Amino acid sequence: MTYKISVDTGGTFTDVIVSDASGAMTIGKALTTHARIFEGVHSAIDAAASELGVAVADLLAQTSLFIYGTTRSTNAIVTKTVARTAFVSTEGFPDILLLKEGGKFNPHDFTQDYPAPFIARRHTFELPGRISAEGEEVAAFDDAAARALAADIVARGFEAVAVCLLWSVANPAHELRFGEILAEIAPDIPFTLSHQLIPVVREYRRASATAIDASLKPLMQQHLRELEEDLRAAGLTGEILVSTAAGGCSHIDALISRPIYTIGSGPAMAPIAGRAFARMEDLGDNVIICDTGGTTFDVGLVRDGRITFSRDTWLGPAYTGDLLGISAVDMRSIGAGGGSIAWIDEGGLMRVGPQSAGSEPGPACYGRGGTLPTVSDAAVVLGYFDPEYFLGGRMKLDVVAARTAVASVAGAVGLSIEETAFRIMSLASDLMVRAIADVTISEGLNPRESTIVAGGGAAGVNIMTIAAELGCERVILPKVASALSASGMQHADIVAEETASLVMQTDRLDIGEVNRVLGALREKLERFAASLSQRDMTDAQIEYIAEARYLGQVWELDTPLRQVPLPLEGGVGLLAETFHQVHERVFAVRDEGSAVEIVNWKARLTVPLAKPIDVAPKAADITLPPPALSRQCFFGGTEPVTTGIYKPADLAPGRTIVGPAIIEEPTTTLVVYPGTSVMVSGAGNFLLKVR
Amino acid sequence: MTDFDPYMTAIIANRIDGIVREMTHTLLRAARSAVINSARDFSCSICTADNHLLAAAEGLPIHIFGSHLQTRAMTEYHAGDIREGDCYLHNDPYTGNTHPADHTFLVPVFFEGEHLFTTVAKAHQADIGNSKPTTYMADAVDIYEEGALIFPAVRVQRDFKTDEDVLRMCKSRIRVPSQWHGDFLAGIGSARIGERRLKELCEKYGKDTIKTFIGAWFDYSERRMMQAIRKLPAAVLTHSGAHDPFGDLLPNGIPLNVTTRIDPEAARVTLDLTDNIDNVDCGFNESEATATSASVAGVFNSIDPTVPRNSGSFRRIEVILRDGSVAGRPRFPHSCSVATTNVADRLINIVQSSFAQIGDGFGLAEGGVGMGAGFAVVSGKDARTDGAPYVNQMIITSAGGPGSPSADGWPTYALPVIAALMYRDSIEIDELKHPILFRSLRMQTGTAGAGRFRGAPAIEVAYGPRYDPMEVHWPCDGTHFPARGVRGGKDGICARHFLVTTSGEREELPNIVARKLMPGDYVEGNHASGAGYGHPFERDPVRVLRDVLEGYEDETRAREVYGVAFTGSLVAEDLAVDGEATARLRAT
Repeated sequence: MTYKISVDTGGTFTDVIVSDASGAMTIGKALTTHARIFEGVHSAIDAAASELGVAVADLLAQTSLFIYGTTRSTNAIVTKTVARTAFVSTEGFPDILLLKEGGKFNPHDFTQDYPAPFIARRHTFELPGRISAEGEEVAAFDDAAARALAADIVARGFEAVAVCLLWSVANPAHELRFGEILAEIAPDIPFTLSHQLIPVVREYRRASATAIDASLKPLMQQHLRELEEDLRAAGLTGEILVSTAAGGCSHIDALISRPIYTIGSGPAMAPIAGRAFARMEDLGDNVIICDTGGTTFDVGLVRDGRITFSRDTWLGPAYTGDLLGISAVDMRSIGAGGGSIAWIDEGGLMRVGPQSAGSEPGPACYGRGGTLPTVSDAAVVLGYFDPEYFLGGRMKLDVVAARTAVASVAGAVGLSIEETAFRIMSLASDLMVRAIADVTISEGLNPRESTIVAGGGAAGVNIMTIAAELGCERVILPKVASALSASGMQHADIVAEETASLVMQTDRLDIGEVNRVLGALREKLERFAASLSQRDMTDAQIEYIAEARYLGQVWELDTPLRQVPLPLEGGVGLLAETFHQVHERVFAVRDEGSAVEIVNWKARLTVPLAKPIDVAPKAADITLPPPALSRQCFFGGTEPVTTGIYKPADLAPGRTIVGPAIIEEPTTTLVVYPGTSVMVSGAGNFLLKVR
Repeated sequence: MTDFDPYMTAIIANRIDGIVREMTHTLLRAARSAVINSARDFSCSICTADNHLLAAAEGLPIHIFGSHLQTRAMTEYHAGDIREGDCYLHNDPYTGNTHPADHTFLVPVFFEGEHLFTTVAKAHQADIGNSKPTTYMADAVDIYEEGALIFPAVRVQRDFKTDEDVLRMCKSRIRVPSQWHGDFLAGIGSARIGERRLKELCEKYGKDTIKTFIGAWFDYSERRMMQAIRKLPAAVLTHSGAHDPFGDLLPNGIPLNVTTRIDPEAARVTLDLTDNIDNVDCGFNESEATATSASVAGVFNSIDPTVPRNSGSFRRIEVILRDGSVAGRPRFPHSCSVATTNVADRLINIVQSSFAQIGDGFGLAEGGVGMGAGFAVVSGKDARTDGAPYVNQMIITSAGGPGSPSADGWPTYALPVIAALMYRDSIEIDELKHPILFRSLRMQTGTAGAGRFRGAPAIEVAYGPRYDPMEVHWPCDGTHFPARGVRGGKDGICARHFLVTTSGEREELPNIVARKLMPGDYVEGNHASGAGYGHPFERDPVRVLRDVLEGYEDETRAREVYGVAFTGSLVAEDLAVDGEATARLRAT
């Protein structure tokens, strides 16, 4: 049992990373096969296996751990192929999913319809009974009405049920009772009870999460079971885990019961990769992770070695999409990438995006009929891609089409095609700089004191420009940058999280009650841990977090509890002080005169899977002969610059490459701009120096 | 940069926009009062040193115009004595502010010794020391009776240090001073963040490039506005509307008139508000900022929504106001306490719907107006916390948005001056913060102003106190005059509210409400719905089908108002449009 395989099935590509006993990683890539996901997975493993010189069957037989990440659930939501789901709400309140929490972007834009709710109003059912904020029953549960409702759900052919009643977090009796009735009358229909999935105050977030979760249950159960069968049939005997939005992985049964955690579970692994590479290269605990795809640019953070989480992750646009509501790894996405289209607006201003050529027809240079100039076309015009060797030679690029496309913009601004292409590239970089700035601002992180870890096949094209603009001097482009999420899974631990809603204020905090709630969270996690029967639990740990704010504020900050149970003496003061520190970090002010209000209490179990990361040995400087190849590339000027092209054979740990240069690896391209340089580290990663 | 540089202008504009967003983020997240951090009733902007509005991001429509009037007050009052480290507080409705409740922080930004910008953070306060515990003093005869502390660009910081005298004045007069102080810190913090980032920007690009950018950005924005206006035909649009009656003082309400002249050749729009009555002896008078913002918002609602909002695009819009008019420049000491909503909402509606006179595809229907029960200020004592007093404005329902030439109205619209930008409260949070119990909150079937694109339906809400008496206050408009449809579109329904007592009596409430509810009593009612755009017979039958399936409309209205007939049944889930029968209905 020597190998560990991680798989990230994206919308287009399936990335595989195979690591051997020494930790050395090999990439395999294949097209994702949506009809039967295993086929693409198998092809990608096959690609890695042939690189390693072993047969797939042997590789699988010798694999001790297989970690799977998927966009299956996200795709099902985007393509509206989730289960036919009933939404059960408190009588009198059917429009929770419709009205959401309000908010919009452009106040003068009246061109768009208001979005339909995640579950249609006609699939919404109102259940008599009412619990108050204090947990009292102010209207009784109506058994007969509930039974009739459940029977109606069966009769109308619903495949899943989402139950979210007002104040179920204060008293779950009505949700539980309705769950019993459902189990009795509709034993084959899976359901989700809101207080069990996401016990937080604010009915929309709870309802949205519950609706999404329930709607995925039939589908993800089938998907994960099917994959498991396929893997076993192919000879895998090792353990199978699935990556989750909570920033770790868990077993298939856990994800079948809470499939919402598979949403965004691939991207959630990128910060884990970022943290691992920063440790490996001894570049600190504050990391900005950038993952560049064809149509999106994702940004995440690691702060003081901790992944950052958010309850404000939207599927689709903020305010008008659907809120995930669960505490998920905070990876924020903007629509910018190789496919983003450059254009000139009516006032003569140069713009890039938000329109994208997507993957069909794709950039003009793909030669699939696209004619609009994209960022990828700009890169082709600038000479950054070898038209004969794109994606490791799997695709030929149409230079003429790229130039023709960019010429349309060049004509409008009165510059050469190459100057225009450089500006398109720079504008795209600027959008990415702004996306990073937005994320770092909201966490109070200074990019100048952080390390950037860049991922995605196209990251290397402009990551150095982005880093220079942010004043960020430490940049890592991992050798496996093109499969960043899959590489993150290699470093992921088993993670489980439980939340309880209990509103408390530090000026009248009931320590006994808080400790009782924290104890209940611990018990739940311990029950989960007991299900990991054969695993070594010696290094398992539970962290506790309060979601807190100053009294009167509405936005909570994750505040770690340093001592649990809270000590009777000084426990409240310690909690308040920790919150002041967190608030000061994020907003640069502390208000010691104000009480702190805690809304939710979280406990997070981590069972280490991966070996701790050792700092890789430094490579001694070496000098190698200049590369054999060169190309004419443009870096903003009107005249081309002769640029060395470095192939894998030209690279060795300790080699420094001074720009202008282009490094062409099979799955990634790195542009080393004039005035910058790159060193190959002892671990084989690229360490970038922007000045 | 010599000529317009399409690349550098884009880059620096992105940066400036990023700075305003960072200011916005800071204020939103650090503020204490729900009106800022939940309702987003605030806006941040950057003005140039010579008092032109350079950038405003995602601010409420009612805030888009005027921060440059406030910086002008600052530069006039303090000429020769403005320096780095200063911060000014402005809330004077007679010299550029919207209404006194919007405390505005102005920080002059210096680079290499030169005043280049002023950053502006404007936020509606939970309390401003009015004579009654509300920031909307509908019945205030004048600013004295209104009672707010007024700050006409008063310096509150010098050398980055706060003037403790001003702080003490405010704290000794404003209710819940700790909450106000938290918002004061957040407002200054926001303006200071903008200052820091602008200095970094100047450092990076140099003063000359930044100055060239400013000129280029205004010219670019002006060009965009010119192009937008040139897509309109020449027209003179005269249109009227009215605010609801208000007791004995305004038995016929407040009639309002706006004449809009569109001159595509000169690429200019003129909004003439001079034909309006004199100031009224209550809080409904507009300030210069709100009269201008509201009418200009009506124009922005009717053109390409991506035209930037700044002094460059404003060059092409002339707003003619009369001194001493209810929809003009207010004459001291008339009160502008409610200037940001009621009359302002009507002005936006009048202008955007007047554009529909041009022809099909232009303008908007009217949006629902009125802050009713779903926007009530509730107050009383909370038995759950040993009788601690509470007072807060809830934002829990919404008036319905207007139909447009291409889309239906939004149910989260709230008001014309908000245009769906605000966040909503959650039922659970409102019940947690106040001893209150909601009985229901739902869309009302068949209430939308019908049209080719319909307005959003009305939302009804019902709630009452749990343990002790509770006061409710709201200054609702839209209970007499509904949102009006355009181009054959139907009107919305009016707002209506009732008080239901424990004995089962149901009393209809007036539009301006100040009542005490006893335990067991509750209020129930609905805000106004939005009006429709285009004749309902032109509505795509598939949309009508979806409305019936989703319960926005019923089958009777589908047939009678929309002329759409169906086959199958709702219960059997096989309802479908009957094409032939629909054609017959629509032919009559």
